[in-house]
Amino acid sequence: MRFRNTRNAATTAVSTAAVAVLSITLSGCGPDSGAQADPAGLPVSGGTLRLSIENEPECLDPHQSPTEAARALTRPLVDSLVRQDDGGRIRPWLATSWTISTDQLVYDFKLREGVKFTDGAPLDAAAVVANLEHVVAPETKSLLASSLLSAFESAKAVDPSTVEIRLKRPDSTLLISLATPNLGIESPATLKQDPAALCAKIVGSGPFSSPGGFVAQQGIDYVRNPDYKWSPEGAGHTGPAWLEAIKVQVAPDKTARFGALTSGQVDAITSVSPTNAKEFGALPGFTLHAKPFPGINFSYWPNTASGPLADVRVRKALRAGIDWDRIVKNVYFGVFEVAKGVISPTTPAFNTALQGEYATDKDKANKLLDQAGWTARDGEGYRTKDGKRLKLRHMWSDASITDLATQIQAGAKELGIETVEENLDGGTYVERLLSGDYDLLDTSFSASGPDVLRVLFAAENIPTAERGIANNISRYTGAQSQDLLKRALSTVEQSEQFKLYGEVQKQITEDAAVFPVYSDRVTFGARSGVKQVQFDADGSPNFYEIWLTA
Amino acid sequence: MTIGLQQPETVPAAAPRPRRGGAFARVVAVRLAGSVGVLWGAVTATFFLVHAMPGKTVDVLLARSQATPAVRDRIIAEYGLDGSLLDQYLTYLGRLLTGDLGDSFVLRRPVWDAIGGQLPATLALVAATLVLTVVASVVLAVIGAQRRPWVRSLFSSVEALVVAVPPFWLGLLLLSVFSFSLHWFPAIGTSSLDGLVLPAIALAAHPIAVVTRVLRDGLLRVLDEPFVLSARARGVGETDLRARHVLRHAVLPVTALLGWITGSLIGGAVIIEIVFSRPGIGRLVLSAVQNKDMPLVIGVVLLAAAVFVVVNIAVDALAWLADPRTRGQA
Repeated sequence: MRFRNTRNAATTAVSTAAVAVLSITLSGCGPDSGAQADPAGLPVSGGTLRLSIENEPECLDPHQSPTEAARALTRPLVDSLVRQDDGGRIRPWLATSWTISTDQLVYDFKLREGVKFTDGAPLDAAAVVANLEHVVAPETKSLLASSLLSAFESAKAVDPSTVEIRLKRPDSTLLISLATPNLGIESPATLKQDPAALCAKIVGSGPFSSPGGFVAQQGIDYVRNPDYKWSPEGAGHTGPAWLEAIKVQVAPDKTARFGALTSGQVDAITSVSPTNAKEFGALPGFTLHAKPFPGINFSYWPNTASGPLADVRVRKALRAGIDWDRIVKNVYFGVFEVAKGVISPTTPAFNTALQGEYATDKDKANKLLDQAGWTARDGEGYRTKDGKRLKLRHMWSDASITDLATQIQAGAKELGIETVEENLDGGTYVERLLSGDYDLLDTSFSASGPDVLRVLFAAENIPTAERGIANNISRYTGAQSQDLLKRALSTVEQSEQFKLYGEVQKQITEDAAVFPVYSDRVTFGARSGVKQVQFDADGSPNFYEIWLTA
Repeated sequence: MTIGLQQPETVPAAAPRPRRGGAFARVVAVRLAGSVGVLWGAVTATFFLVHAMPGKTVDVLLARSQATPAVRDRIIAEYGLDGSLLDQYLTYLGRLLTGDLGDSFVLRRPVWDAIGGQLPATLALVAATLVLTVVASVVLAVIGAQRRPWVRSLFSSVEALVVAVPPFWLGLLLLSVFSFSLHWFPAIGTSSLDGLVLPAIALAAHPIAVVTRVLRDGLLRVLDEPFVLSARARGVGETDLRARHVLRHAVLPVTALLGWITGSLIGGAVIIEIVFSRPGIGRLVLSAVQNKDMPLVIGVVLLAAAVFVVVNIAVDALAWLADPRTRGQA
């Protein structure tokens, strides 16, 4: 939620990151969407992609690091047991098939034969067990991956090509978690090193390897794995990657990144700023690729536990009374999609039936505020109750939301609500977050599946001083939702599970526990000779499919 | 470290040569002893200042993660975050005395490693900036040290303007002209020499303006001295006079200033490092402070303090050697 520019978020998508314009190629419509965009040419093997990225991981190892940057930079290096496709479906990868026991506590994975790590070691059941044990080992100090395995009890090699994972309790998110780079499979020999060594260099079975590893504040170079022939089911091709090499340089300044791209010093950049995104339309020879982040929209989060927003009528009034549509158009030049739902439309299990609940209706808003007892007005026109002004303290995620916050403040004022905008230092922010001393927060949260609803709305994830940082920042405890979330966790059958997550969204909408603002986007700006740019389920660019032409 | 600018006529006779070496060693020894106190003070102040920042260290460290309670407990135990502040301080100081700076909480590797990885880039930038500052300031000051009012006001105005320009803006301006448009230099940091040119110019602009001004004022003051008159009377040319006779007198306050600039550049080049995507200590310490990464913050502060101390000892020693007037003060 904070420190956006320094330790890139595990979870929070950069709010300023993404606006798409006319020339956007919306990727992710299937394995060969990129090829369709260029009917003239067949993929060409060879060439080096020079890429400049905004954020670097503090540690490369995806087992340890919680950052998006670590996920994106390790996806070329490590494969996973399974892959999540664009529809949210789980497909075979290093595991060719799997079975789940009827009590949902035992998963058996059959491994693909003939897979080798780039250090020559074979992939076998023992290697997978070593990886899972590495993630949960306390000395790994995993900041994300181990929480993905919170239901994990043990893993064992039944035979060289069969892994058995036992869970403490049913966990329907296990397969989606296993598909992320955070639970990617690294060469078992390397896992015996000091965790610090893995922060610089990891070895997997992926389509690329990086002999030099990651160099802090500089970047990472990859070379193609010539032996690669185990791409996931549904991939655009089989065999080695098209690119011969990738050179990634860290460039934190967005203007420098954009200038490096347009002057031909790099082939592609990530995190294109909204201002630069606008310019792509007028730039011949360059293409902006973008995809709405799956996960939770950029949203305002009410404190549902205390203060004026503990009253659902005030929350509903704020949701209905502010013209979010117009504000998003004003601030993001009319190219940013306003959000009408709890999760973003690209997230599997998105409930399309709820859009009407997010319509603007100022009369209704004023009526709700009257009903809630905020009937009197003070000298400045703000509503009061028992002589107290209706005042909401909004702690900023960071200064980049200034324009948006100003417009929302103006919208609230029309309703007679004062918002107090607070741009705080990290430590104070964390302290007040833990003690629940706020009325509004803002953040987005990228995730590849609907179980992100649990991360942000389950009662056990309310941040407190004892528990530490957690992500239910609206401090929401709605009983029906809690029950639905529990049921979804123990429902492995995907259509049934998605139905439950659809109902969770309905209940959260009914309780107005979040005010969605806009759908964040992942962006990848490139010269037009960079072909077949696609994004993985978590929004990372898929380097396996990219190929180059002049 | 005060450097008196007295009348040249009052210069006492230099100390007798045989005793010069011993006295010099004493000057350095006294300075070194004082330095230990400076470093200890820097460590102590940093330790308590970082702790005075709001938020518990473990909460700030885990602010962007989804750590399980077990991992949280492990981090508290491993980094000793549960002890009292005094305990933590004494433990840290004890380890420091054995030369152990500890591991960075966030980067998960030894502080020496993390700093060592960025140090060459920082030293290269600092060295290039200093060379540029010295050369440009001397040339500009010698040219600008004239009695004609329009020359003086021209130089003062340009100096004031340069000091007023924010370095990041100057950096972006240099980038768009010399990299994006003319393609003379790379936009994104490289370790090669051509990647050093633009950042060094952007970073040296402020020091050049300040040092030029100090040096020019010094030159003008010295040009009023009677010995200048006598040199002119002996037929010494104007350029020769400035470069060989006057400059030597005016340069002392500048060496002190350069010492200060060097120390501040170690961790202070962060904006330039970001704009030019250069690795360096500045970016390292910025994220370390934001993340309450105590061992790394103290490590960088120690480094900057040590550089500061060493450079100042060198400056004092230089002054001692160059200007006999300063010797009474050691």
